[in-house]
This record gives sequence, structure tokens and C-alpha cells, in this order.
Amino acid sequence: MDKKTKQKIAFIIFRTLSLCVVGILVWILGFIIYNGIEVIGWEFLTTAPSEGMTAGGIFPAIVGTLCLVVGSIVIAFPVGIMSGIYISEYAKNGWIVKFIRVMTNNLGSIPSIVFGLFGMALFVNMFGFGDSIIAGSFTLGLLILPLIIRTTEEALKAVPDAYRVGSLALGASKLQTVTRVVLPTAFPNIVTGMILSIGRVSGETAPILFTVAAYFLPKLPSSIFDQVMALPYHLYVIATSGTDIEASRPIAYGTALTLVAIVFLMNLLATTLRHYFGKKVKSH
Amino acid sequence: MLETKNINFYYGNFHALKNISMKMEINTVTAFIGPSGCGKSTFLRLFNRMNDLIDDTHLTGECLIDEQNIYHKSVQVDELRKKVGMVFQKPNPFPKSIFENVAYGLRVNDIRNKSFIAQRVEESLKAAALWDEVKDKLKKSAFELSGGQQQRLCIARALAISPSILLMDEPASALDPISTSKIEELIYSLKKDYTIVIVTHNMQQAARVSDKTGFFMLGELIEFNDTKKMFLNPDKEQTQNYITGRFG
Ligand SMILES: Nc1ncnc2c1ncn2[C@@H]1O[C@H](COP(=O)(O)OP(=O)(O)OP(=O)(O)O)[C@@H](O)[C@H]1O
Ligand SMILES: [Mg+2]
Repeated sequence: MDKKTKQKIAFIIFRTLSLCVVGILVWILGFIIYNGIEVIGWEFLTTAPSEGMTAGGIFPAIVGTLCLVVGSIVIAFPVGIMSGIYISEYAKNGWIVKFIRVMTNNLGSIPSIVFGLFGMALFVNMFGFGDSIIAGSFTLGLLILPLIIRTTEEALKAVPDAYRVGSLALGASKLQTVTRVVLPTAFPNIVTGMILSIGRVSGETAPILFTVAAYFLPKLPSSIFDQVMALPYHLYVIATSGTDIEASRPIAYGTALTLVAIVFLMNLLATTLRHYFGKKVKSH
Repeated sequence: MLETKNINFYYGNFHALKNISMKMEINTVTAFIGPSGCGKSTFLRLFNRMNDLIDDTHLTGECLIDEQNIYHKSVQVDELRKKVGMVFQKPNPFPKSIFENVAYGLRVNDIRNKSFIAQRVEESLKAAALWDEVKDKLKKSAFELSGGQQQRLCIARALAISPSILLMDEPASALDPISTSKIEELIYSLKKDYTIVIVTHNMQQAARVSDKTGFFMLGELIEFNDTKKMFLNPDKEQTQNYITGRFG
């Protein structure tokens, strides 16, 4: 076989495989949309489940997931961004940085169910929060912390040193340099990290299992110490242990579709924002 | 006045500057020439202590500005850098508007008076011979300017905080001939208000803009002389060889 034919065959194999992957993704999406679209409607999105979760909507679960997203972001963001700044701008490249980096990477590869267990032990029991939004938010916050630290760090690393040097040469302090030049430049990429983590938080089931998620709770939370329903757990419940699994099947697909739509919208928003801010601070 | 006494500088174990002593008078332009890697930039960065940012370096000797050792413990580095501006080889405007680029140095020094800032921005852009080209688009991103305009913007940015000394590290090496001659004219006009130290690889440029020239080689200051003398009739043979192109 000559070189050209080999190349052609290799190319065909690569292309077929990547098309297969895309095909499967499209199939999954199509399957969820096809099965879920019929129950989606204003009523489904704005009412509580009824008749043993075989009818009604998923409003409390949507609200619950939103609470957890906001809660975990509020907790994880300041900490994550500041750690990222410390690692990339302040710490000398010594063993402390290496240690922090290894630890955050390890933290990021711990299975999420372990976070759930840890969250239960620490926040639910030891801190006495009980099953609550705050316990769930802390647990989810810990889960996304590595992601936020890493995206912040990478976003800061991508800022050219010429900006830092230029700022320092004008008599700016290191803090001024970071807050006035480096952070604004890195901002689009940090925002992207933030929104990707929102996607992650809205989809996780294991960490909220023992820390916040309610099996069935048709009323909305009134404080951060209340339990809530959440979309992924609700999906799990009606798909496996509802009162009438067959009857609630369409609702399960509707819930799945809602969840996918939220994550998809978040990612779309991330891309758009990055594009928008990217234009505003565009470099050479 | 800038003065160094027996300066030795090390990157780790590498001896980058060897026992350099020299004096530069106020309101003069001094040019440093020499082959690549001979330590010109390192020497230049001594005067605004930008070498402090590099890990694992070591300095001995004295570096004086107006008779004060700028490496003395009592010297605040950010105050020093306000007095000693720097322009870099590659134009490095911030990803901000033209106005904000020039105003940056004022803002980080806690100047909040809006009309004063606006006035300083205008004066600095005029001094950098850029005002006429940008006065209608001060709000536009600095990245919309050409390379030469960006470099003059960086000069304006440095001038805005009223330094008395201006360090320039090959400020025109990334620019086309027309932008280069604009920068040279600019240097000439700035001389009456500033003490300027410029590193350049361009012999003609050194000859055109400077009053005095220092020739470096392998970390040593081989010769420091009046520019005219240096280019017509240097004292050292090494200088002669370099200038006539036998080194390079
Ligand atoms: N950050 C650094 N760490 C280690 N060595 C360095 C560093 N910066 C410069 N050097 C070394 O010090 C010597 C002088 O470098 P410097 O940049 O001052 O030379 P230069 O005369 O400005 O050269 P060029 O004309 O190429 O800009 C070189 O041998 C270089 O390799
Ligand atoms: Mg250099």
C-alpha cells in the first residue's frame, strides 16, 4: 500500500469514529427531547408534583436546583478565585504551590458520592445544619472548588507578562496590578469557568443525596436551613422508586429535558459571554 | 544625575554585569550599544529596579540617582518607579481605552481629580506626539492603534506621572522606519525635560539621538564616551571593531 492510500484510510477511520461520537450524542439528545417534549409546558414548569408524582410539574425541583446553584457559587467563588490568584500571582513556584496544585487536582478527582458522605458528616451532623440548602451548597461548593481554582489559575496564566511588567513599571503595587490589569483581562475566561461549574452543580446527584435533597416536598423553601427538591435527584426518584414508575415515565423524561436544557443554556451563555468580553479586551 | 559604582550583577551564578561604574548627567540622552546578551537590558533595569522581579539574582555595588542609593532599605520601589519611567521593546499597552492607558499611572497613584487627569492625559499625549492622531478616539481600545502609535502611547503613559528619567529598551526595534524616525524625533524633543537612557541595536540611531554612548561587551562596559567621539574616533579598539561591523 502506498503512502497516499494509507493516509486516506487513516483519514476515513478518524472521520467515521468522530461522526459516530457525534451521532450518539445527537441520538441521546433526540431521545430525551422526543420523549420529554410532550409534558413540557407552562404548567409543568410552574406547578408542584401531584398524585404521587405521576402528575403535576417540577416547580419545587427547579427552584431547589437554582437555590443550590446560587448557594454553591456564593460559597465556592470567592474562595476559588482568591486561591487561583494566590497560586498564579503571589506564590513563588516552590513546594507550596506544587502541594496546593496536587491537592486541588486530587480533590477534583474524588468521586462525588464521597463528597456527599463527607458533606453529611461535616455540614449536616457536625455543624448541625441538618439536611438543608446550606449543607448542600457547601458540599457542592467543595466539589466545584478545584474546577474554579484551575480555571482561574489558567485564565491568569494566559495574561501576558508584559501587562504586569508595564503596570509595575508605572509605580503600581502588585495588588493594583492584579486587580486593575490582570483580573479584568482574565475575566472572560474566569466567567466561563464559573458558568461551566454551574452546569456541573445543577447536574450532580450524589453530593446532595445525604445533604439536602428531599424525596417529595411540594412547598418552596423559606430559609437556607430548609430542605429542597432538586432536578437530578427528582429524576432519580421518579425513575426508580416513585409510586407508579410507568405512569411517571413521561414526567421523568420531561425532568431530564429540563435539566439538559438548563445545562445547555448555561454553556451557551458561557460561550456568548466569553465572546462578548473577549471582544472588549481583545489583545493584538 | 544617574551614577553607578562598581556594579556587579548575577543571575544565579551567571555574572551578567562586571564592575560597572559610570555617570549620566541630567537632560542628556545616553545610548547603550553592544552585541546581544552583553547585559544592556540588565543594566537599564537596575535604575527602576525591575530586576527585583527576577528570582535568584544578586547585586553588589551602588546605583545612585541624585546621590541617593536606590537600593537602600529606605527606598520605596513604587515611589522610585514613579520617578523613573520605562518604555519596553514591544509596545505593551493595557487592554483598556487610549485614555485609560495614559491615566493608569495617575489612578494607581491615587489621583482622583477628573479634570487634572484629563489635563495630564492631554499633555502627555501631546508630549508623545500622538495627540493629533487620537484626540477624537480617546475612548477607543488602545489595540486599535498601529504598532508605532502604541509605542508612542506607552511613552505618553510613562510621561503622565511626570518622571524625571526615562528608560527605553530598544523602543523602536519592533517598528517600521517611519514610526522609528517619529520616536527618534520624540526622544530629541523630550531631552530638554527628561534624562533619557536608551538601549539600541541600531548604530545610526545611537549616533542620531544620543549625547553619550556606552559600549558593552560580555557584561563589561568597554567604553563610555561622547557619542561623536565614540563613532568617529573611539578610544578602544574593541569599540572600533564593533562599530565598523566586525562584531555583531
Ligand atoms: N531572567 C534571566 N535569567 C537568567 N539569565 C538572564 C536573564 N535575563 C538575562 N539573562 C542573561 O544575562 C545576559 C544579559 O542579558 P540582557 O538581556 O541584559 O542582554 P542584552 O544586552 O539586553 O541583549 P539583547 O540585545 O539581546 O537584548 C545574557 O547572557 C542573558 O542570557
Ligand atoms: Mg535587551
